[in-house]
Amino acid sequence: MTAVSWSRCGDEDCIRIEGIAPGADIRVHAGAPVAMDGLPGTAGRLLRDGDGECFAPRFAFIAGTTYTVVVDGATAGVLVRPAQEHPATTEVLAVYPTETTVPRNLLRCYVRFSAPMSEGYAADHVRLVDHGGEIMVGALLAGDHELWDATRRRLTILFDPGRIKRGLVPHRQAGYPLQVGVSFRLVVDPGFRDALGTPLRTGAERSYQVNDDERRHVNPGRWTLTIPRGDTNEALEIAFERPLDHGLLGRCLHVVGPDGRPVAGTVEIGTGERSWRFAPRNGWAHGSHHVVVDPVLEDLAGNSVSRVFDRDLARLEDRPVNAPPPTLTFSPH
Amino acid sequence: MSEYGLRVGTVEVRSAGPIGFGPAGILFMADNVAAKVFAVDVADPGPDAGSEPFDLENVDAHIASVLGCEVDDLVIKDMAVHPRSHNVYLSVQRGRGDAGQAVLVRIDHLDGTVADVPLAGVPVAQVSIADAPGTDDERFDVILPQGDEGDEIQVGDRTIRVLRQPIRTSTVTDMAYVDGALLVAGLSNEEFSSKLRRIPFPFADAVADNNLEIYHVSHGKWETAAPIRTFVPYDGGRCILASYTCTPVVHFDLADLTPGTKTVGRTVAELGAMNQPLDMVSFVQDEKEHLLVANTSHGLIKIACADIDCQAPLTAPTEPIGAPRETEDLQGITRLANLNGAYVLALQADSDGQHLRSLKTASL
Repeated sequence: MTAVSWSRCGDEDCIRIEGIAPGADIRVHAGAPVAMDGLPGTAGRLLRDGDGECFAPRFAFIAGTTYTVVVDGATAGVLVRPAQEHPATTEVLAVYPTETTVPRNLLRCYVRFSAPMSEGYAADHVRLVDHGGEIMVGALLAGDHELWDATRRRLTILFDPGRIKRGLVPHRQAGYPLQVGVSFRLVVDPGFRDALGTPLRTGAERSYQVNDDERRHVNPGRWTLTIPRGDTNEALEIAFERPLDHGLLGRCLHVVGPDGRPVAGTVEIGTGERSWRFAPRNGWAHGSHHVVVDPVLEDLAGNSVSRVFDRDLARLEDRPVNAPPPTLTFSPH
Repeated sequence: MSEYGLRVGTVEVRSAGPIGFGPAGILFMADNVAAKVFAVDVADPGPDAGSEPFDLENVDAHIASVLGCEVDDLVIKDMAVHPRSHNVYLSVQRGRGDAGQAVLVRIDHLDGTVADVPLAGVPVAQVSIADAPGTDDERFDVILPQGDEGDEIQVGDRTIRVLRQPIRTSTVTDMAYVDGALLVAGLSNEEFSSKLRRIPFPFADAVADNNLEIYHVSHGKWETAAPIRTFVPYDGGRCILASYTCTPVVHFDLADLTPGTKTVGRTVAELGAMNQPLDMVSFVQDEKEHLLVANTSHGLIKIACADIDCQAPLTAPTEPIGAPRETEDLQGITRLANLNGAYVLALQADSDGQHLRSLKTASL
């Protein structure tokens, strides 16, 4: 009587097969017996262990997967690798923009999760829903590349740029994904799996109103600075004239001290991505400071300091700006 | 392989991504989690191949079976054909999340056997494609409103939590080796740029700022940047045909690209709404070079390179749009590679699974 069971062989997980004749042909297949016709066996090694054989796979068994053991062409046993159950604790911490009114040519959103996530779920579990509750098919950029940060906690969602850019065939055929004056929601459903394979504790969504297109350079000259007092570590605050991209705000503004060196400190991005606060780690020095703006800094519609997202060649004011990074000068009081 | 800077070591690949062959049978493997490109000597054991076709139905099931996983736990990321042996290499991700594993698979084109390619103790070189700031750069602290990421620090009388890890990444969408350099197209998770990175090979210690920026113009009125989704060198590597995420197909001469300057490519076609380019390959038919474009919505699109070269820039909305093209009634093709002069190899998906199918170049 042949018997198969999960076992360990040395340091390795294996399937132990007992009660077989010496020299029997042993194969292991991932999946139920019905699905393995004509397919090669799972790569691995057979190790003699007492009066049985152990199959140690080349690649680790996957939790929740069924494995079929075939001896001399006949199914000798079916095992299901125990699934590891984890409580659903992962959740969505934030959806950006937090600004509730966005331009019709909104380009990008971010979803920040509380734990590292699995790839391969974004297309089915993040969607836009219109004011009538219908899924807005084709609004987001499709494709097989999910855009994650290095920790797999922040997912970047791109709207289909072909539908936003004027003149392109997708735009002429299908129009803008959003409509001015018509609200929509970005919905993350709980089926999105974290890196342990566990669904979210709960889904999340954020509602937006849609305003007119935004097609102007980001212009630091129109920002308002609230200057801190000297000899303190009060924050410098910059108010923008329109919401800017949350991801880029985290790295595109730098403060340089009177000695020409970067000032160490902490950054806080204000509500609605309309402001940015910088508190120096060691207090302000006396003298002139500069806020240096990386020209790649974008607004919600992909317009940056250096270029307008899809620029009208006839509008001279929309020409690309190739000047050095703009700076804003201030001296703590 | 030492002439290419490869040293025996382990390919510490963390995620499966695009692959492509370079000189001397070296395989380039992009790893978007580790933000690296590896150059690996795959030591292909096969004999020199002829011009036979190769087909394998349900290639996904075959690979999953060998790797000991269900088909649903397998994602085929890219495909390349060894230029000498014509064995087929597939970059696959086995499992998801923390349990996920990148595997390089070789399929023997003579008998269809599937095996994983050893990635330890092999000649390898690597280059970083991360351009994010260092984790010790204090300027990049960002206060987090919630969550347990990052570190707690003391600022004045407050304890706050900050994140120092750079969160900008660049996802490689396609790459190709041309004349001593690896061209890498990528999609940033932050800024919307159209940079094509040129990385000299053999890899140097530091990648020079060698980004090539290619814009495109829509109907003579609107100029825009966009990430390149897929591209193919042709005409002996002198020209590139690139397809953007927003669907224009744009031609440019490689010689026209100068680092640090903006180049405007010549739009020769558009793929249309609700469509995304997936892969491109060049092949010769009747002694003339042609390109095939796999895409999500239509059949395989075939364009003659001569038509691309004489196509005036698209300046007005007309139908059909751009260079003359034929659409083959071949649906579901996601990846393309030159098998040999007589066949192009396609990875084709249908309701039964994914299949490797040879397309006779004379009949395309």
